[in-house]
Amino acid sequence: MRSTSYPVGFAAAAVAVYVFLLAPIAIVVVAAFNSGEYLRFPPEGFSLRWFSKFLASEPFVRSFWFSLKLASLATLLSTVAGGMAAFFVVRHAGRSRDFLRLLLVAPLQLPAILTGIALLIFFYSVGIGTRGMTGLLIGHTVVSLPYVFLMVSSVLLRFDRTLEEAARSLGASPWVTFRRVTLPLVQGGVISGALFAFITSFDQFPISLLLVSVGNTTLPIQLFDYLRFSFDPTAAAASTVSVALSVAVVWLIHRLVGLEQLTWGGPR
Amino acid sequence: MARAAELTGPEVRRLNRLSLPPALLLVPAGLFLVVFFLVPYLNMVRMSFLTKAPGAAFSHVLTVENYLRVLQDAFYWRVIARTFWLAGLTTLLTLVLGYPLAYTIARAAGPRRPLLLMLLLAPLLVGAVVRSYGWMIWLGRMGLINQALRALGWGEAELMYNTLGILIGLVHVYLPFMVLAIASSLEQIPADVELAARSLGASPWRAFWRVTWPLSLPGVFSGAMLVFVLALSAYVIPILLGGNNVLVMPMLIVQMLLDAFHWPLGSAMAMVLFGLASLVLWLYVKAMNRALRWIPR
Repeated sequence: MRSTSYPVGFAAAAVAVYVFLLAPIAIVVVAAFNSGEYLRFPPEGFSLRWFSKFLASEPFVRSFWFSLKLASLATLLSTVAGGMAAFFVVRHAGRSRDFLRLLLVAPLQLPAILTGIALLIFFYSVGIGTRGMTGLLIGHTVVSLPYVFLMVSSVLLRFDRTLEEAARSLGASPWVTFRRVTLPLVQGGVISGALFAFITSFDQFPISLLLVSVGNTTLPIQLFDYLRFSFDPTAAAASTVSVALSVAVVWLIHRLVGLEQLTWGGPR
Repeated sequence: MARAAELTGPEVRRLNRLSLPPALLLVPAGLFLVVFFLVPYLNMVRMSFLTKAPGAAFSHVLTVENYLRVLQDAFYWRVIARTFWLAGLTTLLTLVLGYPLAYTIARAAGPRRPLLLMLLLAPLLVGAVVRSYGWMIWLGRMGLINQALRALGWGEAELMYNTLGILIGLVHVYLPFMVLAIASSLEQIPADVELAARSLGASPWRAFWRVTWPLSLPGVFSGAMLVFVLALSAYVIPILLGGNNVLVMPMLIVQMLLDAFHWPLGSAMAMVLFGLASLVLWLYVKAMNRALRWIPR
């Protein structure tokens, strides 16, 4: 029945909405490879000059490396902490399960800008301040941890525990069971969670806006500052890097656990 | 080890428990979120009742002055009203545009399905700054649409640095959230239900309106709630696509904190915005629960 009972117009509307969704992203990539100062139609020709300008721009390059370092560290922290918490909540939490789940996903439910404000005030109140990377790292970990928790829990919920019991009853120690049975079976979820955490941190805007300091600027903040004064396609080259990362992450998650897992396969 | 082979399920589980207590697994994340999430939020609530001190961000004198200043000022009310209006309109537009897409994804089968999902999720993962920039290339004075209009001799249109630009940007950024919420609800409706309506003689549209649409309402309601809250707190898009011509609350709050360095007032403004948002959501949930009671289950 699938296509026959389709209300007329839905398919056409869906195509139009896809065009709307992809238009601004596609145009950024086109502008980055176009040789002109601004995009005309038809495009003036293929060129990598904006990428070389991006690579020659000290603020862009420095903020790119800073974002990469920050996102890697935030991913490491949130993956370890979020993954462990998922194991506890799915397997061991009794009556406290609902409360714990609420706490662990709360940073996704509250607006990130509000979390950023709360952290800014808190850091100054306790004397951490926003110098250096500590504040940013904490903020980014807070908002990426829930994604790891959700992805790992969704994999654990489908996990067949008799496999572990079989390994144990055949004489494997808890550690060996974990290394040889549990980990290989959940690693897709863990890696997907980590990838999601990485992109959340790399693209993070509101939290960074409030917690960045001079000399420690992330790529999205640098891009934002740049765009307030100029439109030139160096920004398009910087944006294309970020688009490429997002596409790579979606593709990898698709290969690892399937995108359905990410969208509505998660625990409710 | 031979003994272990004779153990049954519960005993194996007891054996597992002999190692470290599992509660230790929760310690890093739990501690982290309590210290760096729960406490900062409580601290912000406290901050909204403190006083601004000359030369410092705040002093420990309790007051409700900050709240009175926000609530008694017509200027803030106008900005709050505009923020809610934009968020409401964004919610409505994402619903209208998102529904057909959600339906298409939920009903898609085979290899088309992951492709459709990927095309939805890739934009979701691209940051709001990059997406706003993409819209600037289309909508700006020298942008592609205005180039086309000029080439056709139709003059120029103001497409950004106004409410329209903000609305386009907001709808674009929050549309995937709405689509995912509706699709997850549609997923749970067996295709047979619609088929039954069709085989009893209903037209595709009638089958949709009388069967599928009511059953998908839970997804519509939860998607609307999510988009509304997210749109209320949008900051990047109103700045980049609205210029400084259209003020919304998050802009004022950030200004108050970062530029005016008035933390108590900034915190109070944030509390007022999200207090009002909670009130609206509470009324909304009550109304929706009443509406959902009419759905046959």
